[in-house]
Amino acid sequence: MTVTPFLSIKNLTVKFGGLTAVNDFSMDVMPGSIHALIGPNGAGKSTVFNCISRYYQPVSGDILFQGTSLMQTPAHGTAIRGIARTFQNLELFNGISVVENVMVGLDAALKRDGKRLSPRQMRLEAEAILERTGLADYRNEQADALDFGHQKLLELSRALAVRPKLLLLDEPAAGLRNREIAALDRLLVDLVRKEGLTVILVEHVMQLVMSISDGITVLSFGQKIAEGLPAEVRQNQQVIEAYLGREGGAAA
Amino acid sequence: MDWQVIWLFLQQGVASGLVTGSIYALLAVAIVIIFKTTDAPNFAAGELFMAAAYVALYLLVFLALPFVAVVPISLGIAFIAAALFYRIVLQKIGSSAAVTVNVVIATLGLSFVLKGLVRKTGVGDVPRSFPSIFGNDTVMIGQAVLTMQDIGILVLAVLSMTIFFLFFNFTRTGRAMRAVGMNPKAAVLVGINLRRTRMLIWGLSGLLSSLAAILIAPKILMTADMGSVVILGFAAAIIGGFTSLPGAVLGGIIIGVVENLVGLFISSRAISVAPFVAIMLVLVLRPQGLLGGKVAVKKV
Amino acid sequence: MPITLPAKLGSLAVALIALIVLPHLTTGYVVYLANLMLIYIILALGLNILIGETGQFGLAHVAFYGIGIYTTAILAGRFDVPFPVAIVAGMLLAGAIGFLLGAVSFRMRDIYLALSTFAFGEAMQWVFKSWDDVTNGPNGMRIPQASMFGFRITNDHDAYYIVLAVTIVVVLATVALMRSRLGRAFRAVRESEPAALALGVNVRLTKVIAFTLSAVYAGLAGGVYASFSSFIHPDSLGFTTTILVLTMIVVGGLGSIAGAIMGALILGLIQELLRQAPSYQEIIYGVILILFMMYAPKGVAGAIKARFGRSAAK
Repeated sequence: MTVTPFLSIKNLTVKFGGLTAVNDFSMDVMPGSIHALIGPNGAGKSTVFNCISRYYQPVSGDILFQGTSLMQTPAHGTAIRGIARTFQNLELFNGISVVENVMVGLDAALKRDGKRLSPRQMRLEAEAILERTGLADYRNEQADALDFGHQKLLELSRALAVRPKLLLLDEPAAGLRNREIAALDRLLVDLVRKEGLTVILVEHVMQLVMSISDGITVLSFGQKIAEGLPAEVRQNQQVIEAYLGREGGAAA
Repeated sequence: MDWQVIWLFLQQGVASGLVTGSIYALLAVAIVIIFKTTDAPNFAAGELFMAAAYVALYLLVFLALPFVAVVPISLGIAFIAAALFYRIVLQKIGSSAAVTVNVVIATLGLSFVLKGLVRKTGVGDVPRSFPSIFGNDTVMIGQAVLTMQDIGILVLAVLSMTIFFLFFNFTRTGRAMRAVGMNPKAAVLVGINLRRTRMLIWGLSGLLSSLAAILIAPKILMTADMGSVVILGFAAAIIGGFTSLPGAVLGGIIIGVVENLVGLFISSRAISVAPFVAIMLVLVLRPQGLLGGKVAVKKV
Repeated sequence: MPITLPAKLGSLAVALIALIVLPHLTTGYVVYLANLMLIYIILALGLNILIGETGQFGLAHVAFYGIGIYTTAILAGRFDVPFPVAIVAGMLLAGAIGFLLGAVSFRMRDIYLALSTFAFGEAMQWVFKSWDDVTNGPNGMRIPQASMFGFRITNDHDAYYIVLAVTIVVVLATVALMRSRLGRAFRAVRESEPAALALGVNVRLTKVIAFTLSAVYAGLAGGVYASFSSFIHPDSLGFTTTILVLTMIVVGGLGSIAGAIMGALILGLIQELLRQAPSYQEIIYGVILILFMMYAPKGVAGAIKARFGRSAAK
């Protein structure tokens, strides 16, 4: 392949105490693609995210972002380099308003550009993002007053406010209704195809994964067990056994 | 200072340190059991201790009751008062989606109330002394001199902590308390009554404070501000990692011995600041306490 | 029923006029009380930055207040430094020590942070009491009469407008700060450190800044106090004073500027009224705290917000 990967994980190993959470894991993500990272619960998907966003320190391995290692970047530096994320179990700023949550994301984008906006402009920008994710009606609510699905969308909005080049989404469809999943599907495709974002998606909702992913990597017990196009992964016997078989074909 | 004096001071410091340390250990246990089961530090611990001492003093001196009656009545009053505070105030706060800070402020409120009450009764407005239970005859241990009161404190403190540990580990109620400390949700699932258990914990903590107060009161001057002694219980709890009971006991002994050695070798003026410096040093070097585990990275 | 903007501005204007004419209508004692309340407001706003906004349980506030008082008094009294300069020096010293305290304790959380900063406060009080050569030790120290910008402050009336002006500037600066990027970073750290990091907030630095700023506020409050007070006794610089300020911001409503101001006024006044009945002071104060925590856990600001909708408390 001639294109250099946008994000390249090389031989990543993460341990907690004596427990190996991720073992010698490698993965390449191409620019402008949606790459899904799937696997049973506890497979180490979120741990990989936590390493990319520099929250966890791996025992060994390297992560290259646009060709440069992330290992020298502090956790608070990843947003400035253009990486934004959401969290599996929600890490919203619960006690403040929906619009202010998004403004914290905007702050990161502005810091990167070395710009400042007036409080009024900040608010308008934040509201524009909420408009896009369908949360505009809730902008003045306190974040913890939203239901779970909307909180997921708020995390997405906050991450988009960073104006990232790489977006890490940890189960964005959890708690969403079918109609909302369809909207999320359209939004993500829009972001990638029109705005050139790269997305890594951890998701259990197979309908979403299969319809929008350009590539899929399958993790099980911290090991990569398969990788390829959606159609290939769907046929992979090991994947069916480790994941689809056990979690129930119904999800697929 | 020649070696003989140093050796003498060491013996005296360790012996006296064990005595006061056993009291700090009791207080630290009283603080830690509350923190473990309700996730909030009890900032009224000092005033519970102080008020308990005054209750005992009142029964003993003003009502002229005998010791055998004073001790159980005092312990009972402390148990009931602390349990009621949990039942009436903290349970209400806990059910209104409050954060730890609200519990802390409520315990501070209790400490003000107790101080005010003691001053208001007229007993607490002048310094008083508490009669010695075991007398002040002296005993030599090696070259160290201890009074019978000292020996009594040490023996009773160790005895009561032993009983407490047996209770905590081998009775149904004790095990329920430990379960609540480890994982309240799981404890509820196996049928433990959370509120009742926490109420008992508060009562028990009050009882331990009261015991510590009756034992140490003859050795210190009684004022409404004597609750400040309990900061040493907090210091002991910190050294022990704040959630470990054996750690709390060890912390109490360490604080007691170090305090006495500082007093003998450095100066008595330094004693008053030593515990604070010790707390800061321990926490700066090990933010989770001496015997606490590693600082955990929050799981996300 | 949300409170409208004109209603807000109207009540602000009324309050301002009342504050300006206050000394002309009342006796010296009320003016003294007003000065004290303004000092409490500065102290409460400072502690609210650390505890209310950033969620860091620093309990050494009174230490920085003391540093502000002593620095100002010593520089002005012994070295004839002009009062405004002495006050700024007190702020800077308090800020520097606050920075150090924040820098060594950023790894601590909750109970550990509370206890280590409490211990720091107690140790500082010991220093005030024991460093005889500098602070005159346990007997307390006389504070020289201040003169600022050409006129002398001989009584509470003279000081009032200066204290009021400083407080208004502090309130406005705090409002601006809380709407700024740094203000949002404070709240982000309070609500979720992992998310704050992922959004580019330097959590460690933000905590240290909160510690420093909070200390600067307390140092300023101390310096201003020294400008109208004639004596400082180290006994008044104990944990009880930190607790008083802490209860102000909790009763007012953590994380709310209006709450900190209301809390300072309410508890400051209760404290002062109860002085008339010293034997009941502690009991009543304690009961008030307990009742507040039981029935208004989010403070006055939270209760108003719940009653009148969002716009009121912010």
